[in-house]
Amino acid sequence: MKGAMETNGPGTIVGVNVSLSGTLKDQNDISVFGMIEGEVISEKAVIIGQSAQVKGPVKGELVTIAGVVRGSITAHEKLELLETGKVFGSISTKNLVIHSGAVLIGKSEMPAGDETEVGESIPEDQSDSTNEESPELTPDEE
Amino acid sequence: MYYYILEPPSSRAVRQTYQRLRDLLTNLGIAGEMVAASPARTPEELSIMGLEKGYSTIVAVGGDAFVGRIAQSIIGQSVLGVIPVGEAVQISQIIGTDNMRSAAEFLKFRRLSTFNTVLTDSEATIFLDSVIEPTKLAKVNFVIDGKLRGYAYFNKLTITRNLEIKIESSHHIEAKKILGLFSVGGRVIGSESVFRGKNVRLVTEPDLPVTVSRVPITKTPIQLQLTQNSLKVITRRGSIL
Repeated sequence: MKGAMETNGPGTIVGVNVSLSGTLKDQNDISVFGMIEGEVISEKAVIIGQSAQVKGPVKGELVTIAGVVRGSITAHEKLELLETGKVFGSISTKNLVIHSGAVLIGKSEMPAGDETEVGESIPEDQSDSTNEESPELTPDEE
Repeated sequence: MYYYILEPPSSRAVRQTYQRLRDLLTNLGIAGEMVAASPARTPEELSIMGLEKGYSTIVAVGGDAFVGRIAQSIIGQSVLGVIPVGEAVQISQIIGTDNMRSAAEFLKFRRLSTFNTVLTDSEATIFLDSVIEPTKLAKVNFVIDGKLRGYAYFNKLTITRNLEIKIESSHHIEAKKILGLFSVGGRVIGSESVFRGKNVRLVTEPDLPVTVSRVPITKTPIQLQLTQNSLKVITRRGSIL
């Protein structure tokens, strides 16, 4: 729990029978299994457990959701929505994994940097080498 | 020169241990003034006497609760030395030994470690883990750094010197009976929470004692404040922890 505190230590854990309101901020991992109404912010990983209910924005490097989140989620590195996870709100991440059974109702956004990578053409020398290694396809095989 | 405060001996064996300690300290060349606490002379009073006499190091000889009381009395004014005797699990971990001879040798080398402590509104100081342990599930309301409010049900709540609040609970959910024959769904739900802050307020329902090694030091409701690097202790290796 940070608030004003900036020291390191083991992460924050919000147990099953805990209910919080306000800003939960930690430099280290945050694991939530209870109820939170407010922001959840970590500089590392945020895990929203299956029994957790969060009403408010969630921010972290790696965010894993197995419970219910009503609010936006920003994962700077990766967002994983497990089969029991339910998200009602917008998500923003570079790397998104949604497991079968998960619920996502809201907008999904990926940082602009990734758009250019999708449209990038393969350099000539690389495309040549690829052709050399790949067996040529005959019209029949095609 | 060290000022040694001894916990009242609980048995003849402890009295003999103290005698061996005197010899050991003399052999190591660190024998100092040695006083024993008693109902007439509390460890707090003896600590103040030691400070008034100008001792820069007060050595607590005893268990966790006893050491905690002396630490509270000398904080910010003197270095704490420790010889663990009796129930001294926590303090042994802090100084790096539960052995009397090793602890005495550490005193000779005088390597200092600096520790955080927690000050309460009742002016008690928390250096060793302090525990609130109700006989049955109780409720605690808390405010952390004025930004986060919450409540939890708990069987055990631990406050550390770094103002880490650990809340543990375990409660049983009754099994449901189907047709009066089969029981389903009965289980124990365990929960553990960990929070940290600089200023924490805890209010329990009902009010409960805060203890160190089962000795009460204060009670709830309680306001806690982190005091960083406030206590110097002689340990195996000197460092800021």
